[in-house]
Amino acid sequence: MPPDQPTGYLIVSAVLFTIGVVGVLVRRNPLIMFMSIELMLNAVNLSFMTFAHYLDSVEGWIFVFLVLTVAAAEVVVGLAIIVSIFRTRHNVDVDELDSMKG
Amino acid sequence: MTAATFAFVALSITATLSALGVILFRNAVYSALSLILNLFSLALFFLLLNSVFLAVVQVLIYTGGIMVLFLFVVTMLAPDARDSEQRDPIRWQRGAAAGLGLILAGGICYLLVNTVLSPAARTTGAASLSKAVGPTDQSIQAFGSALFHGFLFPFEVTSVLLVVAILGALVLGRRASKD
Repeated sequence: MPPDQPTGYLIVSAVLFTIGVVGVLVRRNPLIMFMSIELMLNAVNLSFMTFAHYLDSVEGWIFVFLVLTVAAAEVVVGLAIIVSIFRTRHNVDVDELDSMKG
Repeated sequence: MTAATFAFVALSITATLSALGVILFRNAVYSALSLILNLFSLALFFLLLNSVFLAVVQVLIYTGGIMVLFLFVVTMLAPDARDSEQRDPIRWQRGAAAGLGLILAGGICYLLVNTVLSPAARTTGAASLSKAVGPTDQSIQAFGSALFHGFLFPFEVTSVLLVVAILGALVLGRRASKD
């Protein structure tokens, strides 16, 4: 299956993306929600790589490269926010972070 | 079963199980380690797709940079994080999320198989796309020239994004420590 058809790679990518979505929906720990977002980003990277390979182009690689950079920036800022919340409130449960609720 | 098929099957199983581990482990440190395994198997997928450069970049940036940062923060916050997940305020949430996830996976697979991968789309779509994207040479040289000629502006914008992220992290860390 893998050498001549992209089906398998795309299905793996869809499964990984779905696992990431379910992780964001189910978990309450913001760190694990963050890891689930990384899972989704990587699943999309895998499908970019698959299309780049089977269409014989390098544009998909460039998208993956840019997604990696954005993911790095996002993780840095997100973890800084989580640490700062932890320092002021001493817990990191997303259910209790509702002080901006209307 | 060729070697590539065997590698593909083994990597698919590893990637799926480690992704499940990320969202199922109670302890956030185990989740982070499981995510490292998942990212590593994706790097091997990239190797299988003939991209040595991005496989190396994946291991360097994700395992070397992002996951080290994750593990630092997780070990700093983990004890509280683990305790707060013992109770479950919304009972039906897990079941609903699993059901919606199954629907989502089914929908994506249906779309992939029926539109992207249908025989017509595979021949005409691939032909027109590869005509649109121009000469096809999958090498690091082609990647470099595409990055620094066709995609120079997004590449430079990326550097602005990284500077802003660094400044944001500095500001957030400083304000928290002053309190």
